[in-house]
Amino acid sequence: MREMASLLEINELSKVYADGTAALKNVSFSVAPGEFIAIIGPSGAGKSTLLRCINRLVKPSGGAIRFRDIDAAAASRRQVRLLRRQTGMIFQGYNLIQRVTVLRNVLHGRLGYMNAVSGSLGLFSRKDVADAKAILHRLGLTEQMFKRADELSGGQQQRVGIARALSQKPQLILADEPIASLDPVASRTIMEHLSGICREDGITCIVNLHQVAMARDYATRIIGIHKGEVVFDGRPGELSEETIHRIYGAAPDWREQGGESLARA
Amino acid sequence: MENRLLALRRQKRLQTLLFVALALAMVIASAVRTEFTPYTVFQGVGEMFRFVVDDFLPPDLSTFRELIGPALDTIYMSYIGMVIGAIVSVVLAFLAAQTTAPHRGVQVATRAFASVMRNIPTLIWAIVLVAAYGLGTLVGTLALIITAIGTLTRAYAEILEEIDMGQVEAVRATGASYFQVLGQAVIPQFFPGFVAWSLYKLELNVRSSTIIGMVGGGGLGFVIQKGLKLFQFKEVSLAVILVLLLVAGTEFVTSKIRERIL
Repeated sequence: MREMASLLEINELSKVYADGTAALKNVSFSVAPGEFIAIIGPSGAGKSTLLRCINRLVKPSGGAIRFRDIDAAAASRRQVRLLRRQTGMIFQGYNLIQRVTVLRNVLHGRLGYMNAVSGSLGLFSRKDVADAKAILHRLGLTEQMFKRADELSGGQQQRVGIARALSQKPQLILADEPIASLDPVASRTIMEHLSGICREDGITCIVNLHQVAMARDYATRIIGIHKGEVVFDGRPGELSEETIHRIYGAAPDWREQGGESLARA
Repeated sequence: MENRLLALRRQKRLQTLLFVALALAMVIASAVRTEFTPYTVFQGVGEMFRFVVDDFLPPDLSTFRELIGPALDTIYMSYIGMVIGAIVSVVLAFLAAQTTAPHRGVQVATRAFASVMRNIPTLIWAIVLVAAYGLGTLVGTLALIITAIGTLTRAYAEILEEIDMGQVEAVRATGASYFQVLGQAVIPQFFPGFVAWSLYKLELNVRSSTIIGMVGGGGLGFVIQKGLKLFQFKEVSLAVILVLLLVAGTEFVTSKIRERIL
């Protein structure tokens, strides 16, 4: 029964890069609608590769990914577009188009729904523009709307990143280390926005994090990855210090987490 | 450890010394081969000065009216050469840049083509074209277009290779198609470099259109060449002054545009 209800199904997924690096080995898990999943693990564990396999920015080497009714691993070019437009992505480096306005960056979320000509020329419909403005308002960026993206602070840029993902009206949001380049205060703001919006709108979310404390605070479920393999999959409360050591191979880097995690456990 | 560092530093110093010695040796050898000495330069200066003052000055202002047409021709040639060159080059650059080329073979072929266009001097192109099309501004324009394609294709391709692929990936992740990604993620990053290089090429065109004119490409260069052959040096000097003004004017205008856009 749970199988039927899942939004995303990953089965025996593996990825070997051209240089021989095995980034993912037999990764399997399924995601139910409304979950807020944190994927934790050291740098190079394969977290980014995993997210990029889901929206096919990276082509898996083996295994299956099913997103709703799309077989992502074997999807045609057209299906990949359908898959991507229902899946918002947020990046560590924000990856906004620096030289264009905040509003236009948000409108880019509509490209997957537009035809080749109006999309390439950026002729967005009046409704899309109105929706984008509403999303920016929701994220507290109304004043920044007509500024160039590169004029914004890191935290603001990441909020635009969230807005871009939201304008896709996504079923799923993939966030790849969304707070790794931000200071603690901005990090909190971003995580609050992301988890709040996903909860309100019923959007499923998978977030790569390397701060265990953040994962514990916001996630409904945590998946731990070590060297391309899932070594933990459970509720935040089930994550013991011993497990954390297994995920990180040794003690995680406490400096990045301000020692919070130990204190809370 | 300490010793290895010391040895490394000594080796580095030796390399620097060798390099300086080599550079000096090349300067001396080149000077000897070209019979260049400060003395011979001084000898010539007097003669040059006399030639300029006696024969070229003052410029013959009465011919100004006749020079307006050729001066405009020079501007038109440079401008159309840049515009058409830029249009063709943009298309070729997408084929020549590693980040956007559809196939490795296409990339190599386009680069080779641009390299030939670029590395044969504009002057040679002009001479060849005069043989085919006869004297006139058409030849000058074609020669400028050809070298513009050579230069700009490479310059644009390099801009394309330096764009931030993270921004491109983000737009691709929204479900955008190839041309949508091009229009919305690649072109905004490409634009400032595109403008800067195109304007620079316009400056270069104004400069080299003079040389092209001298082999029959029309414009002010042609007037200069004709004047020199007929020993009408005072008319030539006015044309040279006009060239200088044109170059300076183009530089001024292009730098203003650059400031505005970038």
